[in-house]
Amino acid sequence: MDDLDIEEASDEEVEQMTAAEALAMVEKAWLNEKFSPELLPHKQDLVDVMLDQLNDMEKNISRAKKGDLKVSIHKMEIDRIRYVLASFLRIRLEKIEKFVHHLLEEEAQLGEDVPSRMSPEELQHAKNFAANMETLFNDVVLRHMPRNLKKLEGSKVAVGPYQDSYVFLQVQEQVDQVMVDTAGDQGDEAIDLEKGSQHIMRYRVVAPLITNDAVTLI
Amino acid sequence: MDPAEVEFLAEKEMVHIVPNFSMDRMYLIGGDIGPFNPGLPVQIPLWMAINLKQRQKCRIQPPDWMDVEKLQEKKEEEEGSQFFKPMLNKHYMEVAQLLLTHATDDIPRADEVRTLIKDIWDIRTAKLRTSVDKFVSEQESHAQLDDLSLMEINTMRQFLTQALDHMHQIRTPQGGATQHTQE
Repeated sequence: MDDLDIEEASDEEVEQMTAAEALAMVEKAWLNEKFSPELLPHKQDLVDVMLDQLNDMEKNISRAKKGDLKVSIHKMEIDRIRYVLASFLRIRLEKIEKFVHHLLEEEAQLGEDVPSRMSPEELQHAKNFAANMETLFNDVVLRHMPRNLKKLEGSKVAVGPYQDSYVFLQVQEQVDQVMVDTAGDQGDEAIDLEKGSQHIMRYRVVAPLITNDAVTLI
Repeated sequence: MDPAEVEFLAEKEMVHIVPNFSMDRMYLIGGDIGPFNPGLPVQIPLWMAINLKQRQKCRIQPPDWMDVEKLQEKKEEEEGSQFFKPMLNKHYMEVAQLLLTHATDDIPRADEVRTLIKDIWDIRTAKLRTSVDKFVSEQESHAQLDDLSLMEINTMRQFLTQALDHMHQIRTPQGGATQHTQE
């Protein structure tokens, strides 16, 4: 019951992962998304795997006799996992709606093979949201404006994530020579990140390390 | 992050309990929980232990570090040093809070334990306040905080991140074409 097949986003190979590992990854993704100022690449595969697990578990307990204790413990665990998933997806949705124009522009400029940050459903929602906002502004305000102000330029209203926001992080793998600027004299100082240590620094410095799991946000 | 969410994360810690019922092995999504036999200790996650305790189905064994002598030693160590000492458990505050509220009878000398943990918390948060103060006034842009627990970091989180963001903006000349949001 514990081995799952999930497909890597771009590869042909199928990766075996236990349910416990998938759960740990979901929680890690949740924390990273929560504390990151920008939208991180989507984890739709992981979410789907987890939802399947939850649905299977729910079916199992609905079939089982009313053995009260087992059923209620399984239900509690299901509730906990649902909370994490719901919170994760809600945070992503909030960021998508906040940065909608910026994300759609980025999407339009992506090459053929580069995976998108948003899952297909999220992308569809972003487009709908942007279109609805445009209709709203047109109907409420822009119709009544003088001719040369009637359009909203996408690039002018795009709000981007604040990359220099400070974040707390925990180091999973040793990384050497990370450039952090020191106070005052604007010089750059290189520091080594030891495994297991915790730091606070600007998001921009560690953004690439998050995607390859060398650090996690806490 | 809410303190409730920090507690949510802390509830994944494993604790030992002694059940008074029997049940076979449970296959949870997060892992297998061994068979329950009355009188035999078994290890389960904290959220489950608290729930079972509330239904009066088990007795919780206090974790090793929750012992008056050890905590006394820890407290003296913290008082003696101006820096943070590694704490006995990553989630000491949350675990202590939960166990002392729900399983007071299972913890020997619970009142003393409660006072000691509160004292340790107070000492550490005082140190945290002074070091945050120094951090902001010296306008550092990076710090290492290895031995801080998540709950302690969380008390400072909002203030510190916003203060540092503002300071960074004041320090750096703005020139970007894209606007930025700030929370």
